[in-house]
Amino acid sequence: MDEYSLIQSAQRGDLDSFNSLILHYQDMVFNTALRILSDDDLAADATQEAFLSAFRSITSYRGGSFKAWLMRTVTNACYDELRRQKRKPTTPLEPEMDDGDEIDSPRWLADPNMTPSQQAEADELEHAIQHCLETLPTEFRSVVVLADIQGMDYSEVAMASRVPLGTIKSRLARARLRLRECLRGFEELLPSAFRLEEESRA
Amino acid sequence: MNKFQDIELLSSYLDGQLSPSDSARLELRLKSDPELASALDDLRAARGILRKLPMRKAPRNFVLSRKMVGAKPPLPRTYSFFRFSTALATALLVFTFAINSLSRSASFSAGAPAFGYGGGGAGSSDVAAPQAFAAATQAPAATEAPAAQAPALELSASPTEISPSSADSARGIETAAAESANPKESATNSVPPGQAAAHNEPFVFSSMWQIVLVIVILLSASITFFISQSAKRKWR
Repeated sequence: MDEYSLIQSAQRGDLDSFNSLILHYQDMVFNTALRILSDDDLAADATQEAFLSAFRSITSYRGGSFKAWLMRTVTNACYDELRRQKRKPTTPLEPEMDDGDEIDSPRWLADPNMTPSQQAEADELEHAIQHCLETLPTEFRSVVVLADIQGMDYSEVAMASRVPLGTIKSRLARARLRLRECLRGFEELLPSAFRLEEESRA
Repeated sequence: MNKFQDIELLSSYLDGQLSPSDSARLELRLKSDPELASALDDLRAARGILRKLPMRKAPRNFVLSRKMVGAKPPLPRTYSFFRFSTALATALLVFTFAINSLSRSASFSAGAPAFGYGGGGAGSSDVAAPQAFAAATQAPAATEAPAAQAPALELSASPTEISPSSADSARGIETAAAESANPKESATNSVPPGQAAAHNEPFVFSSMWQIVLVIVILLSASITFFISQSAKRKWR
C-alpha cells in the first residue's frame, strides 16, 4: 500500500494504516526531536506524543507533503516539551559523571557497526554539533534541523514551521552562520571530514 | 550592500533557491570578492557538517495501540441507519403517548361524562346517558360529526324521543356541550354506554400503532447492538 492510500485509510480511522506510516517515519521523527531537545528520553516522549497528536488530527491533513505535516506536529511537541522543561528543569541534557562533568562519548550514542576509532570520531562530531545546536534559539534550531539534518526543502520547512518562506531563508542563514562560528571552537575535536573542508578553503 | 543580506543570499544560493539570473550575478561577485567567497565556504562547511550527523535509530517502536488512541471499532453504515431508526421510532412512540394523553385530557375538560373510556363509564351510565342525548340534540356541532361515526348516532335513540323530564336535566349540561370545541369528541361522547365499547376510540393514535412502534424499536435496537458487538469482535 502506498503512502497516499495509507493516509486515506488512517483518515477513516484505520489505526493499522497509521502504524505503517509510523514505522516508516519514526526514525526521522525521533531524530528531529532528539536534535531539538538534545535528550533521548525527552525525544522519545515527544515522538510518541507527536504521533498520537498526528493520529488524532489526521483528518486535518489536506494534501501536500505529509512529511512536512508530520514534522509540524513533532516540532510542536518539542516546543511543548521545552516549555515544560523551562518550568521544571530536572534532568541534565547530557549524561554526567560522578563529579558532574559531561561524558564526552556517552554510551547512549554508540553504534555497534563502527570501529572504535570511527565511533570516537562520530561521537566527537555529534557531541560538537549537538552542543552548537543547543546554543541556537529554538526557532532557529528547528529550522536548521529540518532543512540541513532532515534534508527538507524550503517550502516543506515553511509548512512544518508555519512561517513564511522568507523567514525560513533568513533563519536558516543566521543559524548556519552561528553554527559555523560555534564549530570553530571544536576544530581540534572535529573529525577529518570537517578539517578537510577547512583545508580546501585555505 | 548589507552584510546579512549577502549571507542570506549565499545561503539560498547554496540550496539552489536563487533564480538563474540572481545566481549568475552572485557568481560574478564571488569571483571578485574573496570575503564573500569565504562566507560561502563557511556556510557550506556548516551545512556539510550537519549533513554528516549520523541518523540514530529510534530506541523503540512508536506504534499506537487502540487503547492509547481510545479508538472505537469502525462501524458499517447500516449501524447508523438502525441507530437512527431506533431513535426515530422511540421519538414517535413518545409522541403518540403525548398526543393520546392530550386528547384524553381535552375530552375530560370538555365536560365529557365518565363513560366512553374503557369500562370506566359503566357505573354512571344511567344518569349520564339521557343528558348526553340532550347535549347531542342541543349542540349543532354534534350533527356535523364525521361520517364514520354516523352509525353510532343512528344506533342511539332518536333525539325526538327524549322525554320532557329528561330535557330539564339535559339543560344543565347544554352549556358544557356547546363549549366543546371538538365536534368529533362531542359525538363520540354521546354514544350510549352500551355501544361505547364497540366505538370507543378517544385516542388519536390507536394502540396498534404503538405496538408497531415498540416492535420497530426493539428490532432496530437489537440489530444495532448486534452490529456493534460484531464490529468489536472483528476489531479485536
